Amino acid sequence: MTKKTKLIKKTSKTFLLTGLVLTILSTAVLYFYTKYLLQQEIEEELYSIEARIVDAIKDKKELFSLPPITEIYKVEKLKPQIFKDTLIYDPAQKEMEVFREFTTYETINNQIYQITVRDLVVENDQILIAIVASTITIFVSAFLFLFYFNTARNIKLWSPFFKNLEHMKRFSLTSNQTIELEDSDVLEFSELNNEIKTLTNKVRTDYENLKQFTENVSHEMQTPLAIIQAKIDNIINDNSISDKQFEEITSIQKDIQRLKILNQKITLLTKVDNNQFDKVESVNLINLISMKLQSFKELSANNIVFNYKEELVVSMDVDLADILINNLISNAIKYNSRKEDILIVANNKSIIISNAGNAELLNPEKLFLRFYTETNNKQSIGLGLTIVKKICDLYNFNITYYFKEQKHFFELTFK
Amino acid sequence: MKYLIAEDEIDLQQSIVKYLNRDGNVCEVASNFEEASEKVALYDYDVIILDINLITGSGLDILKFIKKEKKSLGVIIISANNSLTDKLEGLDLGADDYITKPFHLAELNARITAVLRRGKFGGNDILEFNEISIDTKSRSVFINGKDIALTRKEYDLLVFFISNKGRVLSKEIIAEHLWGDNSDLLDNFDFIYVHINNLRKKLTVEGSKYIKTAYGSGYKFMED
Repeated sequence: MTKKTKLIKKTSKTFLLTGLVLTILSTAVLYFYTKYLLQQEIEEELYSIEARIVDAIKDKKELFSLPPITEIYKVEKLKPQIFKDTLIYDPAQKEMEVFREFTTYETINNQIYQITVRDLVVENDQILIAIVASTITIFVSAFLFLFYFNTARNIKLWSPFFKNLEHMKRFSLTSNQTIELEDSDVLEFSELNNEIKTLTNKVRTDYENLKQFTENVSHEMQTPLAIIQAKIDNIINDNSISDKQFEEITSIQKDIQRLKILNQKITLLTKVDNNQFDKVESVNLINLISMKLQSFKELSANNIVFNYKEELVVSMDVDLADILINNLISNAIKYNSRKEDILIVANNKSIIISNAGNAELLNPEKLFLRFYTETNNKQSIGLGLTIVKKICDLYNFNITYYFKEQKHFFELTFK
Repeated sequence: MKYLIAEDEIDLQQSIVKYLNRDGNVCEVASNFEEASEKVALYDYDVIILDINLITGSGLDILKFIKKEKKSLGVIIISANNSLTDKLEGLDLGADDYITKPFHLAELNARITAVLRRGKFGGNDILEFNEISIDTKSRSVFINGKDIALTRKEYDLLVFFISNKGRVLSKEIIAEHLWGDNSDLLDNFDFIYVHINNLRKKLTVEGSKYIKTAYGSGYKFMED
């Protein structure tokens, strides 16, 4: 996963980065171009001075050197012209200064002269400082203005997008509310809205259909199962079957029972999804657990120890409370690996149920998924904990699993 | 006893008839809403077994008719829908019991006999089998007039056995009757053996040896 940046931040960042690069580039170009222009100008000037000196020599005027500005010598032979920079001490400023120097050799009246003219050069750092200072001032002020202006504009421009994003985050398949999107005069946003509406409607219809289908299937299975069941009940009352056949036939009953329970659980899940449990009242969970333990005692050899000090009353549907507690205790009974005591500890805001286990679950995060099971325990359908989770989600209870000291723990916390 | 079985699934209807006929009951059938309405209106029955989802109408409408006409017959609703609202609606309308598909015929039979025992159909809350007499109102059991102390499960078992006397009951049927949907939690049937053996001992001491083993692993409550 790459790091996620906010759209506005990202566009601003790009804008600023581009600005920075542009500023640096333009400063460099400006610097070299200015330097080039200045040099051109100086060289032109040096040429012009040199030309005047030549003219003066031709006119046989009295000439004198004025170092370092002009130096004229008579020499023996001609040499090529040179342009160069040179450092010369300036007594006025008491420092070394850069001079542009132009040396040329001219034959005037059969005499070869070496003429050197120099001019003070504007120093590089000075040009640079001037240019950088001015460009930075211009660019920074322009960019600051543009940056705030653009950000404000972007926020306004993208506002339908951000608002709709929030709407989409709040979208829930299970609620019946259709998604409300803000219209925008931006064509793409408007198109996006339409696509989202189509998509969510499709998803919702598919979800409803699937739910309806699941309900129908589990409903339609009941009658054939009832017929199989009834026929078996009659067969075992016919005198013509053997002990072996009786065994086989009655074992079919176990499978019918499994299918029956599977159906019930699927129907239950759908009903919790549909929020069809609305008998919300104050349920005393301590009483409920105590009652449940009575009936489990007649059903399982597992010893269940129940410790509580305070009352625990929660507001929820009575039937769902029953199912919640029932599923958690039966889960502990089913997976109690070493017939040790099952422990239930309750206080005024949580219930912790633990049972002996051999090892931590391989995929504890999948524990609450439909039909997920890590054993090939035939008793397990893999919906009990899914139902527990659904009920917890419905009432914002928190259910967590952990493994400690060779025990599986389920902790149910109420807000 | 005279029963009307209003069920549009013929296979299920016939199975119920076959099971109930064993006690020498008279079973009439109705395979759709019109037939059921007509028979209820014309004839008298002790109990009607009424499917809510009849192919051409709702069993609940027949129930409403029965209650409006103040007919004296027990009503047991069968539904494929394990929904509480259906159940409550049925019971609110005056049904005597409610059973969800799939069910064991032994369970249905136990429900029918329970309905019949209730006072309003001329029953007297007493269930009898030879020297055994059970007062289902006070949940007390007498053998030759002597009060026998039974646990809750033993009592439920005995009533279930007597209601289905002469019929084979598998461990699965018994487990489902005693523990309902939680019966899948039984890792084995030791618990049933314990309850049945205890009951058997308590009855045998009084000379009532009616709990027989059938097919090695099933049970049958009957005279020798």
